[in-house]
Amino acid sequence: MSAVAIPGQRVKANRRRLRLSRVGLHLFLSVLAFVFAWPMLYGVYLSLRPFSDIITNPAGPFSLPSTLTLDNYAYVIANSDMLRFFWNTAVITIPAVLLTLWISSMVAFAISKYSWKFNLIVLLIFTAGNLLPPQVIVIPLVKLYNAIPLFAPLSANGRLFDQFAGVILIHTTFQTGFCTFVLSNYMKTLPNELVEAAMIDGAGVFTIYSKVILPLCKPALAALAVLEFTWIYNDFFWALFLFVTGDKRPITAALNNLQGQYVTNMPQLAAISMLAAIPTIVIYLVLQRYFVRGLTLGAAKG
Amino acid sequence: MADIETGLKGQVSRREVLKKGLVGAAGLTVLPTVLAACSSAASTPSATPTAAPTPTPGAATPTPAAGTPTPVALTGALHVGSNHSDPSEKKGMDAIDAAFQAATGLAVTLNTVDHNTFQDQINNYLNTTPDDVFTWFSGFRMRFFASKSLGTAIDDVWAGVKSNYTAGFTTAVTGDDGKVYGIPVDYYPWCVFYRKSVFSDKGYTVPSTWTDFIALCNKMKTDGLTPIAFADKDGWPAMGTFDILNLRINGYDFHVGLMTGKQKWTDPKVTAVFTQWKQLIPFYTAGFAGLTWQQACDTLVQKKSGMFLLGLFLTGEFDTADPSGAAKKDLDFFPFPFLGNQYDAEKSLDAPIDIWMMSAKSQNLQADLANAKAYLKFWAAGSTQVLMYKANNGFIPTASDADTTQYDVLTQKAVQIVSAAQKITQFLDRDTRPDFAGANGMQSFLLNFLSNPGQDLTKFQQSIQDFWDKLPAYTG
Repeated sequence: MSAVAIPGQRVKANRRRLRLSRVGLHLFLSVLAFVFAWPMLYGVYLSLRPFSDIITNPAGPFSLPSTLTLDNYAYVIANSDMLRFFWNTAVITIPAVLLTLWISSMVAFAISKYSWKFNLIVLLIFTAGNLLPPQVIVIPLVKLYNAIPLFAPLSANGRLFDQFAGVILIHTTFQTGFCTFVLSNYMKTLPNELVEAAMIDGAGVFTIYSKVILPLCKPALAALAVLEFTWIYNDFFWALFLFVTGDKRPITAALNNLQGQYVTNMPQLAAISMLAAIPTIVIYLVLQRYFVRGLTLGAAKG
Repeated sequence: MADIETGLKGQVSRREVLKKGLVGAAGLTVLPTVLAACSSAASTPSATPTAAPTPTPGAATPTPAAGTPTPVALTGALHVGSNHSDPSEKKGMDAIDAAFQAATGLAVTLNTVDHNTFQDQINNYLNTTPDDVFTWFSGFRMRFFASKSLGTAIDDVWAGVKSNYTAGFTTAVTGDDGKVYGIPVDYYPWCVFYRKSVFSDKGYTVPSTWTDFIALCNKMKTDGLTPIAFADKDGWPAMGTFDILNLRINGYDFHVGLMTGKQKWTDPKVTAVFTQWKQLIPFYTAGFAGLTWQQACDTLVQKKSGMFLLGLFLTGEFDTADPSGAAKKDLDFFPFPFLGNQYDAEKSLDAPIDIWMMSAKSQNLQADLANAKAYLKFWAAGSTQVLMYKANNGFIPTASDADTTQYDVLTQKAVQIVSAAQKITQFLDRDTRPDFAGANGMQSFLLNFLSNPGQDLTKFQQSIQDFWDKLPAYTG
């Protein structure tokens, strides 16, 4: 009897321990989730409050509201010229993502499906480019951009500096490395027989790339497109250094326009930040399965 | 070294700049030459000297607001770079550009970049594709870029508008090479702000001596107030306190010498400044190193703090925080307390001057040159500067013909305090070389001191001096 009772007790004890660790886990996860969600939640809360309410309240921005209002949103939509800045973002982000995917898929195709001397070196160079912090090249880059002539309509001032083309170019340059790395790993998982079969059927290199490999890479391309969109969309750095015309900046850098020298209306800044975050949130919610896949793509070779 | 001395000379003689400027601005003198200046301002630059169809208004009536330039049609384009990014300042810029268009028929292309980014980017901006004219600051900051050939000398423009300024202003806009590089358009003084209602409710009196000041701080503390609002997240607000303490303790000449490298940071006189400063730190807002000045100012709006040493631009935050204007009406200020030494008579203070400059590397400058000069001349008129003043009362006009009847009580008081001052400085980061004042230099040194006031001052001052000594030679 006792031999039976002991295991039973042990099961009970295990279950209790299990429940305890479960509770602990959930507590930990809830706290973590809250910490991560806090900036967003607080941003929403702050954006709904009138500035005078925050100022007059002794607890400042952490006080309880006397009223909540959408006035800040109405104000920034009417006064911040944000449509222009969203348009600027689109003008930068969309071509940059397309260019990046196009170029990197071609490089990846060449180094994963063809065997030639410099395969590894090329891949290494592209991957190593990822490790270079953009900050170290910014000053030479500004000087270089200023010295490189560019024709209209790509450039309004005859130079690469202070132009959309320049910012698109540097994004493409920096993102191509990562995309090449991921795509070449992905392409390596595609059976070589497909390429060989196409070759026997008389397909040229470009036909194999566009008709055989690219369609098979769709999941990888979709995942990368989502990732790249969020990264380039969120860029603040290049936009800050490569534009000196305030009206050309994308929405991220233009948020600074609302932060004056003498007066910063925090609720308004919060409101426009929330609006600026919407596109990335929407993209993420709609395409989140690609997003998660994108993060692990190329992590394991098949 | 010679260059630095030239700079120093410029600063020494600047002592009279605002004093004289303000006497003029107070409407005591209406210069008849103003009219001549303005009409020449409008006629010289035009490539097409056809007068606009509108009749010249009041060309013969010498009213104080006679700065209205003679309408002359301008053609072509003009690119204007502005750091006026606050909503009120934007409105002021729009009003001025509209007035310029009304007067000349030329619509300017305005490029507004937020103030802090504009300042951070200035090197980039001036070296790459700057606008034709741009907003900047007088003092070392102007001379620095002028000496790097990033500004265009505008002696001809200045010659036309000089009569609308008191003589001292010339030094404020003269570069190391003796040429004029800027048009002064506004200034603001640094004073100690407080709420009249708080002082009257608690029976406080405005302190004029250091002893009174400290006693008042202690009293405020026991009354549950933060005696002195303070914030230094952006690095520069603390410089205001250093400036005024150094001016009060060691006088104007030593301060200017220190700024230009003639005096050493290891000097015991500097130790005295930091030692004096230590007495104030316990009265500061908690966590000031992470606060912006706006946040500190809000505590004054909320009557949670008693006093705040800042520039007059602080009124802008009051306008935003309390649109009803009640809080601003309750606002008052006094000059920083005196220490009872021989420098009291100087009544010195920081009162930085803002200017407009003409860039050198703008691609359009050759084509726009005439328009750019016309625009700068337009800004030299009191009527133009008053438009900005009306939009934001933090910008006090510099032109002699500015209509002083438009001024509010605070501005009139500011004009008085600055007129009384025998010596005027521009603010630490405008009076010394930018690489010394910047984030790696004084900004971080002062933050370091404030967060650790008990440290070994000898070592601390030595580190500042070492930093100065390691800076590359300033080749003016």
